[in-house]
Formats: sequence, C-alpha cells, structure tokens
Amino acid sequence: MKAKEIIHLNNDKRKELNPENLKYYEDMLVYIRLSYNKSQEETEEILLELLEHLLEAQKEGKSAKEVFGESPRLYADQIVGEIPKMVTKERLSFGASIILYFLGASALAAGVIKLVLYIIGKSSLTTDIYLGSVFLKTIISLPLAFLLLYVLLEYIRWSLFRNINKVVEFMIFWLFGLITIGFFFALVYFTPEFGPLWQWPFYGSLILGTLLFALGYGVSKIKN
Amino acid sequence: MNLHTQLLKGVLEGCILAVIKQGPVYGYELSMILGVYGLVVSEGSIYPVLLRLQKEKLIRGELRASPSGPNRKYYFLTPEGEEALQNFQTSWEELKTSVDRLLKEEI
Repeated sequence: MKAKEIIHLNNDKRKELNPENLKYYEDMLVYIRLSYNKSQEETEEILLELLEHLLEAQKEGKSAKEVFGESPRLYADQIVGEIPKMVTKERLSFGASIILYFLGASALAAGVIKLVLYIIGKSSLTTDIYLGSVFLKTIISLPLAFLLLYVLLEYIRWSLFRNINKVVEFMIFWLFGLITIGFFFALVYFTPEFGPLWQWPFYGSLILGTLLFALGYGVSKIKN
Repeated sequence: MNLHTQLLKGVLEGCILAVIKQGPVYGYELSMILGVYGLVVSEGSIYPVLLRLQKEKLIRGELRASPSGPNRKYYFLTPEGEEALQNFQTSWEELKTSVDRLLKEEI
C-alpha cells in the first residue's frame, strides 16, 4: 500500500477511537509525522499498526495510557528512533519539491499583488525588475524560509504534549507570523538594485509561479 | 523501571523472535501471546522492537487479510532471524545455567 492509501485508512479508522484515546493517539500521530526525515511509507505503516492495536485494546476496555505508557512523548520518541530514515532519492525529491513550492508561491504572490495593482490602476502592465537583485533575494530567502519552517516545526513538536494556554499559543503564532513577514519585507526593502534591467509583465509571474508549482508537484511524486 | 522490566528488556527481542517462529503473527496477537507467558510489561513496548528487528532484517512484515476482516501486518521470520533466534537460545541457556548455579551456590 502507498502512504496515501494508508493515511486514508487511518483517517477512517481513527473515528472509532473514544475521545480520550483519540487525543492521546493524535498527539502521537502529529509528533511522529513531523519527524520529517523519516520514510513516509514506513511512518504511515507503523502509525496504522499502532492505531489498530489501540482499537483492539479499546474493545477490551483498555486506555491508550495502559497500552503505550504514561508519556506519549517518550513512547513516540522510541518509535521515531526506530523508523528507517528516508532514502537519498526520497530526501532529494522532498527537499526539491519544497524549494519549488516555495519559489512558486513567491512568484504567484508577487503576480497577484501586481495584478491587483494593475486592476486598480496603480501599476502598469509591466514593472522594472533587476535580475541581479531578484537572484540575490532568491538565494537569501531560501535558507531563511527553511530556517523559519524548521523553527515552526520544532515549536509544534515541542508544544504537542504540553497544555499551552490558547491565548499564549495564539500570541506566539502571531508573533512568529509578524517576524516572518518582517524578515521578507526587510529582504525586499534592503536588497540593492543591480544587474540587468528587465520589463517584466505581471502575468509572467503568474505563469512562472504556476509552472514552478506544477514542477514541484511532479518532483514530489518521484519516489523509489 | 522495576527489576522485572529491566531484565525483560534484554530478552524481549529473543522472545519475540521465538513467538514469530511458531507462526506468523500481527502486533496485537503477539502482545497477547507474550502476555500469556507473563512476558509483557506494556503492550506498546513491542513496536519499537518490531521496527528494529525489521531494520535488521531478522523479520519481515506483510499485509494480509485476517480472518476477522481488516488487512493486518503479519510478521515472518527471515533466515537471518532463524539464525539470530538460535544464537539467542544458546546464549540464554548458558546465561540461565550460570545464574542458576550462582544462585544455588554450586560453584
């Protein structure tokens, strides 16, 4: 079975858990799935296996705590430690698709902003872009995006088994969003204009973004 | 961790291999069988071991239809697993004899 089919099966079967077991299991599920360098198929296989075990135990009146232990995090760490890592090919296609999605999303966002400006008459069909600046911004934004994504994932993993106040949580995400936007605005603002000048139409960004997205999707499908 | 759990940890791998040798089992079934022998502390503790044994190619998992309906992952012993089980049996016999002798003070 492919990872996707297993995920569907898991989604269906999970509905049979009682609320208490569901909470325990889902915390563990999110935590294990966020171990991003693990083989996805193997990850989903063990998750389904754990779910099926829990369902049978539930029929016998046992709780998730009795089956997997008092600490979901400790147990999840033991499982994660034993799941085989992604093979190099899976790792490369995973990394490349994230880069392509990110670039695609950036191009689409730029295209949409310029489209709106064009419609309300604040911008012409084409805008001036400096190839050197575009190149430099791309090179800097990629590691920056990866760093922010990494911080976000690590935060979610850290917070999963802690009961963090909803308001505090909201503030943290809000602050994180603000910092992210701030970084990228600073990048756009402070990058000097240099390199050859191009007249670039907004639909160019839209087309480029769509192509990059399609390419990212294609690359993510390459496995084994 | 109590003494029983600690001792069991060292031999759980070998015990799991021994159960699988008797015939293919799926996870829940395996934990029940171990339980009958009084060998399981927490049911979930078998899964990290099963993952490790698969990585070491001592067992392999295969999805099969079970009598009660859903597809289940059944575990089989590989030739390497058979060998590992034999090694475990030999070591265990030696260890058991030594410890028994010591405890009964027959040295």
